[in-house]
Amino acid sequence: MRLRPLTVSEPKVMIPVANRPILEYVVDALVKNDLSDIVMVVGYRKERIMSHFEDGKKFGAKIEYVVQEKQLGNGHALSCAKDRLSGEFMVLSGDNIVDRKAVGDLLRAGSCPSALVVESDNPSKYGVVTLEKGAIKAVYEKPQEMISNIILTGMYCLSNKIFPFIDQCMSSGEYGLSNAVQASLGTQPLSPVFSDGLWIDAVYPWDLLELNAAALENLGAGTAGKIEPQVMLSGPVGIGEETVIRAGTTIYGPVLIGDGCEIGPNVTIFPSTSIGNSVTIEPYTMIKNSILMSNCSIGPHSYLSHCVLGYGVKSQSHMMGAGSEAYVNIVDEFFKVPHIGSILGEDSTFGTGVGIEPGTIIGAGCKISSGAKITRNLPNRSLVT
Amino acid sequence: MCGIVGYAGRRNAQPILLDCLKLLEYRGYDSAGIAVVGDGLQVFKSKGEISVLEASMPAMKGTVGIAHTRWATQGKPTTENAHPFSDCTGKLAIVHNGIISNFMDVRESLVKDGHKFTSETDTEVFAHLVEAEFKGDLMDAVFNAVKRVDGTYAFAVVSEGSEDIVATRRESPLVVGLGDGENFIASDLTALLKYTNRMVYIHDGEIVRVSKDSVTIKNEKGETVTREPQKITWNIEDAEKGGYPHFMLKEIFEQPEAIHDSLLGRVESVDMEPFFTGNTFSSVKIVACGTSYYAGLVGKYIIEELAKIPVTVQISSEYRYSSAPRENPLVVLITQSGETADTLGAAREAKKRGNKTIGIANVVGSAITREVDHVIYTRAGPEIGVAATKTFVTQLVALYLLAMELGIQNKSLAAQARRSMIGSLRNLPRAVQDVLNQADVIEALANKYAKARDMFFIGRSINYPIALEGALKTKEIAYIHGEGFPAGELKHGPLALLSKDSPVVAIAVRDHTYEKMLGNISEVSARGSPVIAIGFEGDTELARYVDDVIWVREIPPVFSPVPVIVALQLWAYYLAKARGCPIDKPKNIAKTVTVE
Repeated sequence: MRLRPLTVSEPKVMIPVANRPILEYVVDALVKNDLSDIVMVVGYRKERIMSHFEDGKKFGAKIEYVVQEKQLGNGHALSCAKDRLSGEFMVLSGDNIVDRKAVGDLLRAGSCPSALVVESDNPSKYGVVTLEKGAIKAVYEKPQEMISNIILTGMYCLSNKIFPFIDQCMSSGEYGLSNAVQASLGTQPLSPVFSDGLWIDAVYPWDLLELNAAALENLGAGTAGKIEPQVMLSGPVGIGEETVIRAGTTIYGPVLIGDGCEIGPNVTIFPSTSIGNSVTIEPYTMIKNSILMSNCSIGPHSYLSHCVLGYGVKSQSHMMGAGSEAYVNIVDEFFKVPHIGSILGEDSTFGTGVGIEPGTIIGAGCKISSGAKITRNLPNRSLVT
Repeated sequence: MCGIVGYAGRRNAQPILLDCLKLLEYRGYDSAGIAVVGDGLQVFKSKGEISVLEASMPAMKGTVGIAHTRWATQGKPTTENAHPFSDCTGKLAIVHNGIISNFMDVRESLVKDGHKFTSETDTEVFAHLVEAEFKGDLMDAVFNAVKRVDGTYAFAVVSEGSEDIVATRRESPLVVGLGDGENFIASDLTALLKYTNRMVYIHDGEIVRVSKDSVTIKNEKGETVTREPQKITWNIEDAEKGGYPHFMLKEIFEQPEAIHDSLLGRVESVDMEPFFTGNTFSSVKIVACGTSYYAGLVGKYIIEELAKIPVTVQISSEYRYSSAPRENPLVVLITQSGETADTLGAAREAKKRGNKTIGIANVVGSAITREVDHVIYTRAGPEIGVAATKTFVTQLVALYLLAMELGIQNKSLAAQARRSMIGSLRNLPRAVQDVLNQADVIEALANKYAKARDMFFIGRSINYPIALEGALKTKEIAYIHGEGFPAGELKHGPLALLSKDSPVVAIAVRDHTYEKMLGNISEVSARGSPVIAIGFEGDTELARYVDDVIWVREIPPVFSPVPVIVALQLWAYYLAKARGCPIDKPKNIAKTVTVE
């Protein structure tokens, strides 16, 4: 919901950050900890996940899939995979970004069952725990009052002893894993594990920009494709196969560009920008700190700053997508974001000279005519004439 | 990434190592090598793919060995830099997957101690380190040698006069496979599944000694570790399906990626070098069989529209019986596998007639590629399902590219028009993705009509061959008698076949044939047949004429066959699923027909 319209045709876990889906970072963290037998519980748009990861071989893992027909809750999801699990196992949610260290810390804590916990500034969105004598005493689901600032990350080491509790909770209509964990506390003490590893619960579009910038920090320079004379590349710039960078283009890394793109002439790209495959960027366009997913096409004389463009966004020319401090409206909340441009849903098309106010979210498949000025969020398939 | 395998047993190691190594080729393929311990240590390596190694290596005798396929990271892909590496004495050989980050320092100190290096790689230092640490026991030597390297690695070492393989890892994968009187190691268990399904995973920092009848694991502190083997219950085929119930569905869903790959490097808005240079041709003849023939029929419309050249399309097995026209046409031969006997025969016949030939094939280096003057590869990747899906769609992409090229060469296609076509081509993966996102809608519709015995497919112009291909898919996968007709031909006969039990699938995208299609649809519904239409999104009229509609995104009509056929592939797939047909292996049909 919060990442709409970017999840219109894509499960949240497949949203690209530095041209790799979020879920790939999770798989990577597991494989680096020798957890290469992975069962993925998939549902919404599962084909996107299966087509990307296949059997996991490419990622050094062995991946099996279990289909959760209805997205009831993560406890239910885990119970779908019951037949594939024996003994002890680790549970993570695919849409959180974790690093090798976070996984390793939970793994090496050695006790099972255990849960990765972190201190949070905003605990009311999560399952909050209270501790007693080094064990978790109680779990409170999204508490309204301040109980503790320690939250469950949703990462656990569990064993098949959890399944009776999940069944028990589900029979009373509670499908969350934290419900089952809470129910099991009496008989199976759960150890909290703290980690200074990375754990990010990516929930808002601007988080994607932050994650993107963080992932690009580790970018090594690597350029394939065709780079014409008088192109200036500075800092780490990754350029994919068969991409053409035309004369007069200046790119300040870290910037990552996918395969089969056509950039320039005379385009300027600033950090920290990720551009997917088959993207066209025409002359005199400037792009800063943005994510452009595959198959986008941006006409000449455009400016995009702190923007996220979904797959296949097309703009004729002179698009203005500036970024600044802005209040962003998501569902029925307003968020003050220090620096944000616009979020454009997949396959939306823009005529010439469209201006978009910072912090605006435009749905998927919108058609915006030339000269329009967009100052508020638009639902999917809006027509602006 | 690199791949390593090892074998210790009673059988001859060389063929087994090679067999396993081939399954690791996805991990790298710029050079490969093998070391076998028999009467002395024999090492052979070569630049290039594993097949090059296989062709050039001498027969090696011995029952213990290791092998490696490399993807260069440190040092160029040359024979010198290929693994296995030996130490100064030539008595031990090692293979490595990963990167030794402190290799410069280690190398310097080893050089000071008099070690001689033959390559630029980081790996070689480890061979010399093991040599330096060797005091009679290989496992101890490796144990001490790894302490001196940083980085990521999986190493495997064999030495002259020993029947053991010693291996260790940090962050790079390594698994031990347990056989009967033989044991294996590999980077990936799939490489071993043909020989055993009992696997022991080696953890970071552990060292393992593998001989034909024992496996000993030690941890970083030198303590012996016992670990139960795991039984792997899946087979290679299941693994490759990656969660999909059938290869066909997997391949249908791979089409956006396949189109992207087929376009890669072949479309640029300005001054792109022609990927095919030839004379201008006054006519084109397309020769193919089966689904490729239907792609050829679509190609006729594409080339005639973009390059304004008359095109004839012929079934390969019939081509040789046609008399040679007075003017030499360009002959285009389409075959997925590149091995179709009838099409190969046609290629030879075309050459005999002195015609210029172009092959459109998916399999690199296949027979057709040696028979023609120029090849356009479709880059669809391997297609395992018998029903052609992604290879058909990428054949269409190849035909668009060819038509644009011919159009530019004979000046029928203006540069500006080409530029906008490239934009449309680049956008095709999105139009296909949009159809895939509606799979559940198409499935529900297919369930509704799955009981039909007969089904008719109609279309006009460029979508007429798509009607034929849709009918073919329905026949071969769902075992429904499907027939495709040009919509205008219904009144000349086929209307007599229609009844309320024979659904008609009508391709009615908004193009210059649209009004006529609506007329044909009315003819059909007047006979009581249910009509399922495929139309462009945003068409408010169509739904009033038909029972059900599958919507595809509006794109320039010349490109509409691509999303439309994807919708029909899903249609056929879900019909077959509802009818319980063996989708990946339909009866009586083989994927590649190499007999005439």
